[in-house]
Order: sequence, then structure tokens, then C-alpha cells
Amino acid sequence: MVNENLVKDVVKEPYKYGFVTDIETEKIEKGLSEDIIKLISKKKEEPKFLLDFRLKAFQKWQKMKEPDWAALGYNKIDYQDIIYYSAPKQKEKISSLDEVDPKLLETFDKLGIPLTEQKKLTNVAVDAVFDSVSIATTFREELAEHGVIFCSISEAVKNHADLIEKYLGTVVPASDNYFAALNSAVFSDGSFVYIPKGVTCPMDLSSYFRINSGDSGQFERTLIIAEESSSVSYLEGCTAPMFDTNTLHAAVVELIALDDASIKYSTVQNWYAGDEEGIGGIFNFVTKRGKCLGKRSKISWSQVETGSAITWKYPSCILLGEESVGEFYSVALTNNLQQADTGTKMIHIGPKTKSTIVSKGISAGNSKNSYRGLVKMGTKATGSRNYSQCDSMLIGDQASANTFPYIKSQQPNSEIEHEASTCRISEDQLFYLQSRGIEFEEAVSMMVSGFCRDVFNQLPMEFAAEADKLLALKLEGSVG
Amino acid sequence: MEIIEKIKTNKSDDNLTEIQKICLHKLQSSPLPNPKSGLWRLSNKSKLSSFLDYSINEKDSKFDVPYPKNSQSTIRLIIGEDCQIKLIEKNYSIQQLSEDELQKYIKEQISFFKQNENWSELLNLSLSCKNNILGLKINGSKIPPIEVFSHASRNSLNAKTLVIFLEKNCDVELLQVNLGKENSSLSQSTFFCLKENSSVNHGIVSYGENRSNLLNSLNVIQQKNSTYNLGSLHFKFNYARFEISIKQSAGNAKTNLKGMQITKKDEQISTYTKIEFNGPNGFLDQINKSLADDKSHAIFEGSIIVPKIAQRTDASQLSRNLLLSNLAQIDTKPQLKIIADDVKCKHGATISQLNEEELFYMRTRGITLTEASKLQLSSFFQEIISFIPISKDKWDLLNKLLNEN
Repeated sequence: MVNENLVKDVVKEPYKYGFVTDIETEKIEKGLSEDIIKLISKKKEEPKFLLDFRLKAFQKWQKMKEPDWAALGYNKIDYQDIIYYSAPKQKEKISSLDEVDPKLLETFDKLGIPLTEQKKLTNVAVDAVFDSVSIATTFREELAEHGVIFCSISEAVKNHADLIEKYLGTVVPASDNYFAALNSAVFSDGSFVYIPKGVTCPMDLSSYFRINSGDSGQFERTLIIAEESSSVSYLEGCTAPMFDTNTLHAAVVELIALDDASIKYSTVQNWYAGDEEGIGGIFNFVTKRGKCLGKRSKISWSQVETGSAITWKYPSCILLGEESVGEFYSVALTNNLQQADTGTKMIHIGPKTKSTIVSKGISAGNSKNSYRGLVKMGTKATGSRNYSQCDSMLIGDQASANTFPYIKSQQPNSEIEHEASTCRISEDQLFYLQSRGIEFEEAVSMMVSGFCRDVFNQLPMEFAAEADKLLALKLEGSVG
Repeated sequence: MEIIEKIKTNKSDDNLTEIQKICLHKLQSSPLPNPKSGLWRLSNKSKLSSFLDYSINEKDSKFDVPYPKNSQSTIRLIIGEDCQIKLIEKNYSIQQLSEDELQKYIKEQISFFKQNENWSELLNLSLSCKNNILGLKINGSKIPPIEVFSHASRNSLNAKTLVIFLEKNCDVELLQVNLGKENSSLSQSTFFCLKENSSVNHGIVSYGENRSNLLNSLNVIQQKNSTYNLGSLHFKFNYARFEISIKQSAGNAKTNLKGMQITKKDEQISTYTKIEFNGPNGFLDQINKSLADDKSHAIFEGSIIVPKIAQRTDASQLSRNLLLSNLAQIDTKPQLKIIADDVKCKHGATISQLNEEELFYMRTRGITLTEASKLQLSSFFQEIISFIPISKDKWDLLNKLLNEN
């Protein structure tokens, strides 16, 4: 028999990214109105088309209702009690990293993000976003040599307005859903990536999002465009300090892949999840969607979701181009009172499109973990295929695991396969490992890691190692 | 509101039974199901309203049984015609439920009903007059197979209700046949209560004629150590919904469900199942098959609910679908809601067309394409049909599906 208490007592590692950086910030007043949106737009010196985009989104948002179908239990969000723009005070323009406030660099250092020169050896270009603005983007010159544009979205608005105007809101329209509309109205910063025709991005690109202030929401927007025959791998990491209030994070990510292009988007989400009583934590309402516009294009989402009090996230693929491919690999771990409602949508429109879904959910403590997915075969999706697999692991008898896969087919010449299973950590396997001298907690973490192997294999190497450790830490003290 | 008016104009208030009054009252707040709620979202609204279009009929024309009686030992009952039943033999007894028992049980069930989830039952119970409710108490062993027929007459809306109590240690085979005549709507509700150690092989065959509609709901409560096997088949309906709710009230029970729906032309047939485990050691094996051709639409939604108390539940659900035409549609949504941790739960779903390699293989052996497709279809059907009791030997369902349909 597994000794529940023994397991529950196994090291309780506190959230190690929960510190607050004491830095002077510039915040605007709380609340949301047309004036606030105009103010944000003015602060960012945006062109008129973007202000119009924001105002239109705001008008739509006002008419929308907060969705309740996910049956997530949380207190009503007061959208007027949030600061929609917060930025660390610094010199107007930064030409090199040396000019960045050392406190900020220190923060990212603590988080293990290689911003400073000596850490650049890791060969990952990083865009660091602190509250509402992007602080620094590394490796820009090297990338520029290949024609790759990697900068914050505010810079892109200034320097590449044509691309922004052409693509912004084409994958996730402003009226797509409540949180996307909110984001479209108030988004502050985020990353912009443009890979020109025929270029394989020479290094992994990475964004690091950090929420520092307790009363401001974070609304970042990421736009990645991969031109014909190009490819890129993009990583995203998120952390936040511990506050006993809930902070709202409503991001929008849009990916566009043209003919033969491929985009790999990996996320390790470790926002503060709140304490054991469920106080505090980030409300994470994210709309991520990729459009495989071109023939043989490919978009692959992989995510490790371990943080946030509430996660509401469905990275999706619209498979328009002939023979385009969509992938979704996910590990979602919930503990204590966390709630995660995550999954994907694979919309097959073009012929011979293929998609794969592998989702692993682990629920521990009193948490709630749901997989919600849609696979749709349109009338023209001849010869298309989908394979989905969602496995859930339950740890303790207070956690819940739900699966809601929804399959819709209008094309006889297509195949859809779905399978799902639910299990718990097998006592036999635990006993076996322990009898071989492996410590209990290590045995558990080995089994969890094995359960998630299919997904971890899809993550870039540095991330995979981090994800493994992250899961082990998160689960400590909860296995029963 | 129309439907309520219709029931009321059909009968004065004094003629309504107490149950009818309760259900009408429940329906009054929202007379039609909410089209936005999950269970009704995909339901074709115009087809549902055509279901309610026909005038209510409480007295049926004489019913022609669709196939000859299997053997002398089969017990045959027709809802609406056979009201007085009392069979007491050496090994078994089949008796009519007393008015009190019936009222008490139905009222208890109604108290759990929710407006949207149980709309079909509420409608059925507000329509069903005394004559069209058949309540049976079955006891004993070596009971001959029972057949129960429900039907709707032409150009009318009929409601039939069947309530069955299966006493302890009782073991029975029961086939329910629901028939829809041309331009008719049948509302059929079945309530099954399986006491401890009882077991039933239940079959439901529903088939319609041109433009017939069906709302079929099945409500099963299983006590400890009971076994409930259901083989069901729905086909040839312009619009049909089959709603199954099964509750293993104290766990330790077995449920096997094998269902199939076949849609052609512009038909829409849907199956909704909800299986709740309210105790430990429950077992479920469910398979649902759909075949959609022409411009039709087949829907399956199944949910399995495993609360904390239901440890060591072993549940599996499989949805297999064949989509045979470019204009047809299949929606399938298996759902698992699990809190207990020591469970084995799995589900699977596939949508495809006939296997081309198999077809090719058969054709290389000299079998024509039509024959080869039929062979494949018959193997697809056979798994379900062989699970339906009584019918398999005398009533050639497979032939009916392959050739007539």
C-alpha cells in the first residue's frame, strides 16, 4: 500500500520564482475605457490602424460575455480593477544590454534566462518581457544577417508596420472570443518573429514573460510568420511572483506558416499557481492559434503547463494548405487547488492534412484537470487523418480528471482515431522500483516522467530537462 | 408553450393524472429544451418541431405485429392494448405494478429530473395517459423471453411508458420494439429498476417508416450485483433521439451496452448516454456504432461519471463510426469525468469509411464491389445485432438492414 502521508510529506519545495523585483515602474491608472486604450496606444506611439484595431476590439469586447462553458470555478474578475499598462522606468531607448537596469538583468539572471553576454553562449536568442514591455532582445545582429526579424511587437509596429497590418488579427480575429477581444484592445507587448523565404532560423528563439507587479494584468501578443520553405523553433517561458491576489494574463499568439514552412512552438508555463489554500495565483486565459496557410506547411505546439491557478488554453491549428500538418503535445499538471482546462482544436480544411494530438494530464491534490479538444474534418478534407491520444493520471482521491474530446466529420474519405485512458501510479511498479533501492519520491517522479515521455521527446533539449525537473518539484508532497 | 396548450386542450384538467400535472408544471417554465444546452445543441430544430406537430393520440388503431411470434413460450405485450397482466407460474411471476407503486416510483424519479436533461421524459410523462403506461413486476427464474411493443399510429403523436421492476435474483430476456408509422411521432420512456443480483438482457429495436419521429428515453437504476446488458438499434427515422441514463446506485454492478444507429437520406438520429457510478467496483463496457449515408447526420454523446466513492471502477467506451457520403455528418463526443483515483477508464473513437484494402482484397477474389461492401457492413452490424436478445434467430434484422434499408 502506498503510504499517503509519507508521500505527502516528501519535500515541499516552495515556488522558487515567487520573488518580487523592487524596481520603479511606470503604471497608468486602473480601469478600462476608450481613453485608457488611446493612452496605451499613445505611449507606444502606434500608427492609426493599430489604434483603430484596438478600439474596434474594445467595442466588440463590451458586447461579449465572459465564457462559462469551461465550468472553471473562480471569483468574478473585476476588469476595472486592473492596471492595463505597467513598465519598468528606464531610459527612452536602449541600444545595448549594458543600458538595461541592472536590477532587471539580475531578475532574469535569477530566473536562469541568458540575457547577459556571458550567457549568450547557449545559442538561444531571447526576448524578455517584463510586465507590459519587452526589456531586451538578444542576438539581434546575428539573426538580422539571415534576414530574420526577432523583436518586441512594439518595435515591429514601428519598423515593420506593413507586416503587422497585413497579418495581425488574421488568425485570431479581435472578435474571436472574450479574452482575445480584451487582449486585442489592450495588448502591451510581446514578440514578433519573421522568417524570410528559404531561411532556417540559425538558432532557437525564445521569449520570457515575467509578471512583476501584483495589480497589473499581462496582455502580450505574439506573432510569428514563416515565409515559404522557412523554419523556426520558438520557446516561451513564464513566471510570476507570489501575490495573494489573482493576476490576469490574457495573451494571444498567432502563427502563420506558408508553403513548406514549419513552426515549432514550445511553452513551459510556470506562472505562480497560488498557495495550498488556493489563494493568489495567475488566471491564465490564452488564445493560441496557428494557420497552416501554405502547402506542406507544419505547425507543432508543445506545452508543459504546470503553473497558474486557472489555465484556459487551447492551442489550435487551422490546416488550410494541402498536406499541411498540425501537432499538439501537451503535459498539464495540476496540484492543490489549481484548475486546468486545456486541449486543442485541429480544423482540417485542406485535402490530405494530418494532425496528431498527444495530451497527458496529471492531477494531484484537490485540483481539476480537463482535456477539451475538437477535431473537425471539413467537406474538402479528403484523405485527411487525425490521431489523438489523451491520458490522464490521478494522484490522490480528491483530484479530478475529465476528458471532453469532440469529433466532427463531414468527409468520408478521412480517418479519425481517438483514444483516452485514465490510470493512477501503479503500486506494483512503485514496489518494484523501491525493491531495487530507488527512493519512493524518485520512483514516483520516474514514473511521471515516463508517463510524459512522448511529450517531453518533442521539447527542445534544454526545455525537456527543465520540464522533467519542474514536474518532479511540483509533485513533491502530493503523491498518494 | 404550444405543446402544453395542446395537451391541455386535448384533456380537461380533471382528466389529467397527478403525474401528468407534475410534469406539465415542470415543463411550463420552459416548454422546449434549451437549444444551446450541450444535449440539444446539435439537434435539428425544425425536425424537433415537426415531432411536436402531430395531434396527440391516446387510442391506437389495431396494431400489426411486424413478425411472427418466435415460439409459444414467448410472452408478448403491446403497450396500450395489454393492461391487465397477471402471470403466476411455478418458477416465476409477472404482475402489473399497483397504481401506488407506479406513482411512487415515477414521482421519485421525477424529483431528480432536470429540465433539459430529462425533457424527453417529462414530455412523455405529461403525454402518457393511464392506458399507455405499462408497469410490470417480474420475479423468479426461467422466465420465458418477453417482447414489448410500442407504436405510433399514422399522422399522430403517441406516448408510451414502460416501467419494469426486476426483483432480487431474477433473470430475464426482454426485447422492446418501437415502431413508427408514416408521418408519426412516438415518445417512448422506459424505466428499469434492477434489484440486487438480478440480471437482464435487454434489446431495443426501433425502426420507422417514411417521416416518422422518435424520442426514446431509457432510465435504468442498478442495485448491487445486478447485470444490465443492452443491445439497441435505431434506424429509418426522420428524427430520432435515444437518451440513456444508467445509475449504478451502489456500485458492484455490471453494465454492457452495445448500440447502433443508421442514418440515410436526410435523417438525424442521435444517442446520448450518461452512466453514473455511485459505488465501488462498477463495470462498464460500451460500444456505440453509427453509420451515416446520403445527407444524414448521426450524433453520439456519451458521458461516464466516476465520483470519489466509485473506486476500482472499470469502464470503457468506444465509438465507432462509418461515414459513407460526402454530404453526411457524424459528431461524436465521448466524455469522462473522473474523481476516484483507483480506476481504469478508457475511451476511444474512430470515424472512417469502409476499409479500402479489405474491399480490394475481396475484389481480387472475385467478389463484386457491392457484395464486398455488404460483407463489410454485415460484420460492422453483426457485433451489435448478435447482442440483441430474441431477435437473432427468427427476425432477420441483418437482412433488413442490408437490403431493405
